[in-house]
Amino acid sequence: MKSIVLSSVVTALLVFSGCSSKEPAVDSKTENVSTPTSQEVQAPETETVSTQNSVVNAGTMTMSEIESKLPTVYFAFDKYDITPEMQAKIDAAADLGKADAAKSLNVKLEGNCDEWGSDEYNFALGLKRANAVKKALVADGIDAKRISMVSYGESNPVCTEHTKECWAKNRRVDFKLLP
Amino acid sequence: MKLLFSLLMLICVTYASDATIEVIKKADVIPSIAVEDASEDYDDTFKMRFFKSLNADLNVLSIFNVDRHYRIADYDDSNVVLENKDMDYVLRYDMSEGDGDALNVSMKLLQKNEIVFTKNYRVTNREIYMFVSHAMAYDINEFMGEPSVSWMKRKVILSRIVAPRKSEIIIADYTLTYQHIILKGGFNIFPKWANEAQNAFYYTTLDDAKPTLKYVDIKSGKIHSVISSDGMMVCSDVSKDGKNLLLTMARDGQPDIYSYNVVTKHYKRLTHYRGIDVNAQYMSNNRIVFISSRLGYPNVFSKRLDTDEVEQMVYYGRANSACSAHGNYIVYKARETSNAFSKNTFNLHLISTKTDFIRRLTATGVNEFPRFSKDGDAIIFIKNYKGQSAIGIIRLNYNKNYLFPLKYGRIQSMDW
Repeated sequence: MKSIVLSSVVTALLVFSGCSSKEPAVDSKTENVSTPTSQEVQAPETETVSTQNSVVNAGTMTMSEIESKLPTVYFAFDKYDITPEMQAKIDAAADLGKADAAKSLNVKLEGNCDEWGSDEYNFALGLKRANAVKKALVADGIDAKRISMVSYGESNPVCTEHTKECWAKNRRVDFKLLP
Repeated sequence: MKLLFSLLMLICVTYASDATIEVIKKADVIPSIAVEDASEDYDDTFKMRFFKSLNADLNVLSIFNVDRHYRIADYDDSNVVLENKDMDYVLRYDMSEGDGDALNVSMKLLQKNEIVFTKNYRVTNREIYMFVSHAMAYDINEFMGEPSVSWMKRKVILSRIVAPRKSEIIIADYTLTYQHIILKGGFNIFPKWANEAQNAFYYTTLDDAKPTLKYVDIKSGKIHSVISSDGMMVCSDVSKDGKNLLLTMARDGQPDIYSYNVVTKHYKRLTHYRGIDVNAQYMSNNRIVFISSRLGYPNVFSKRLDTDEVEQMVYYGRANSACSAHGNYIVYKARETSNAFSKNTFNLHLISTKTDFIRRLTATGVNEFPRFSKDGDAIIFIKNYKGQSAIGIIRLNYNKNYLFPLKYGRIQSMDW
C-alpha cells in the first residue's frame, strides 16, 4: 500500500513539477535486509582430564603433589631466553621428572605473555618461551617425547592489575602434568 | 618552465591515487544533509537509537556534512521542515511495526523539496535495526554515484576473552552495535572468515590435545577439524577464492608460516627462521607480507611465494607487531614509545610497496587489530584510549576516522 502511495506521490510530483528535468530514482521493491544468522553453534564438548585426583602408583607422591613441586619459569619483557636463576629451577624440575614417581608422566608446557600485545606475535612469543624450557629440559636428559607445548598468549593471566609487577608474573611458562 | 610544469603534472598523475599521501585540504565543499523522522510507531528511545545509527552511517560515508539535529516531519509533506530549508539534501524516513516484531522502513531523499530517491526496507526483528540504517546509507552512497561502501553491509567476526582460557566468538555489524555470540564454551580464538560470502569461518581451539584449526559452516552449524599442530596454530589469512590459507604453525616448536590448500589438504612451509614468523597476509603479485623477529624485535617483512628471498618493508617504529594487507598497501601497528611499560602509544601506519611514503593513520592511544575492508576502501581497528575502547573506521580516500564506543571486554582477534 505504502509503495502505491509513494508511487502516486512521485507521479503527482512529476506531473505537477512540469519541466523538472531530474527523474527521481524510485526503487519500489522492498529490500529484505539480510539478517545475520540467529543460529548458535555450541563448541564440541571437550573432556578435561582431571589432574587433581589421579594417583600415580609408582612411589608415594600423587600427580598433584609432583605438579605442586614443579616451578614456574619467568621471562623478561619481549624475551624468551632463560636466565641462570630460571635454569636452576628447570634443572630441579628435570631431576624431579627423572624420579621414579614421575617417570611415566608427560608434561605440557604452557607459554604465557603479559598484556602488551594481543596479536599472533604474542602467541608466538609464549610458544618460544615454552620451547626454550623444553630445550633446557631435553638438555637435562628428559625425553622430548614426554613434552608437549601450547601457547595461551595474553589470555591466561594469573594477575590482572595493570602494574609492572603484575605483568612480570604473567610472562611465564607453567608445567602441567599429563598421565 | 615547460619542463617544470610537465614534471609537476607527472608527479600529480603518478601519485594521484596513492592512499599513502594524505589529503590535507579538499577544495570542493561537500553537500549538507539533514535527517527527518516521520515515524508514528515505536517509543522515543528506539526512535533515537535508529536516528543516531543512521546519522553515524551518513557521517561515515564522508560525502556529506551531516546535520546532527533530530527533526520530526510528516512523511508525505512535500516541503522539508523549516529548519532544513537550506540543506542540500534531506533524508526522511518512516518506521512502522510489521508482523511479529518486524521493522519496516520507508525512506525518501529530497533535494530542494523534490524527491530524488526512495526505497523501502524490512527486517524481521527490530533489534537488528542497524542493518537497515547501514543499507540505507549504502543505497544513498550508490545514488550519489560515489565509490561503493559495500563493506558497510559486511559482518565482523571477533573473539573475546571472558575469563582466563575462556572465550566467545561473536558476529557483529561493522560498528559492533549488533553482537551475536555464535560459539561459546571453551577456549576458541583467532576467528577468520572462510569465504567472501561470510557463510563459514575458521577458528583455533585450544581445548584439544594440540591447538587445532576448525571450520564452521554457519548455516548447518557443522564443525570439522582442518589441521592441528603442537604449540601454535593460527589461520592468518584466506585467499580470495577461499582455497588457500596462510597459517602460523609450530610443528617443531618453531612458529613459522605455512600455506595450506583446503582442497588437496597439503601444506607447504614458507619461512624457515629460528625466531618468530607470524601474521602472514596475501598481497598482490604472488607475494605475502608477515611479521618477523629477524631484527630482534617484531617488524614487517615480505617475500614472494615462489622464492625464499625476504625483504624488510618498514624502517620505522620500535615494535611493529601486527599488519593487514590489501593489494600493494600494508597497514601496520607500531609502538611509538621506547618505554616498555608506561603509557605506551601504538599507532597505525599505512605504506605502499610502490612508494616510500608512510602515512600515520592514528595519533593517540593504543590502536590495534587493523583490518582492510575487502575492497581496500576502509580500515577497521580497535582503539583504547584513557580507559575507553572504541571501534574505529578509517576512510583512506577521505582522510577521516570515525569511532564507535565499545562497552564490552577485551577483544582477542578480529576479522572483517
